[in-house]
Amino acid sequence: MNEQPHTTVDPDPVVEAYKQDVDITLLRENLRRTVTQRFERHAMLQELADELRRAGRKLRSGK
Amino acid sequence: MNDFRKILEALRNARAEFILIGGMAGIAHGASRLTEDIDVVYLRTPENIIRVVTALAPYSPYLRGVPPGLPFQWDARAVQRGLNFTLITDLGAIDLLGEITGGGGFEQLLPKCVDLEVFGIPCRCLSLDGLIETKRAVGRPKDLQAIAELQLLREAQRPSD
Repeated sequence: MNEQPHTTVDPDPVVEAYKQDVDITLLRENLRRTVTQRFERHAMLQELADELRRAGRKLRSGK
Repeated sequence: MNDFRKILEALRNARAEFILIGGMAGIAHGASRLTEDIDVVYLRTPENIIRVVTALAPYSPYLRGVPPGLPFQWDARAVQRGLNFTLITDLGAIDLLGEITGGGGFEQLLPKCVDLEVFGIPCRCLSLDGLIETKRAVGRPKDLQAIAELQLLREAQRPSD
């Protein structure tokens, strides 16, 4: 990946508050993966989310 | 579910010029947030519009969230007349954007891009700083949450002092 230039912006208090909710361990795991592995993992999780939504709809419809 | 790989392959095989932005670009940089669609900014030259149209045509693109049966025809004329298209295709949802808030069009975004290889396919992707900048310009609560994660990713990648 190309080297990315960094810009400096004053910290936004809302963003700073949201940072407390971010699981940094997941980010570290992702950074250890290749870009392709990150997308493969995303596709897997998306598939799981779709399946859970389907199961939820089925439960709500009582079928 | 989105078949991101096939969408990338289709755009690449048609030699379409585009930049990956949004949630999928965040994932490329290591973000953990799930996203449902693929956002790309495309170059709005007549030649490139034909390439983009050709790339997606086999996958039945249709405007997302509008009633079926509207007289929408996926062709270069439709893309030329419009700018930003939120589409549903056989491969999933794709937002095809001529311009974005806080970032402009393809040529304005180009200096803020990095080159990636995904599934062996080379593609341009908005940089972490570019993503943060555009999400800050949009400023919805979900964008601020995404910025928090992207900033943490940037901090995690900086060499320690």
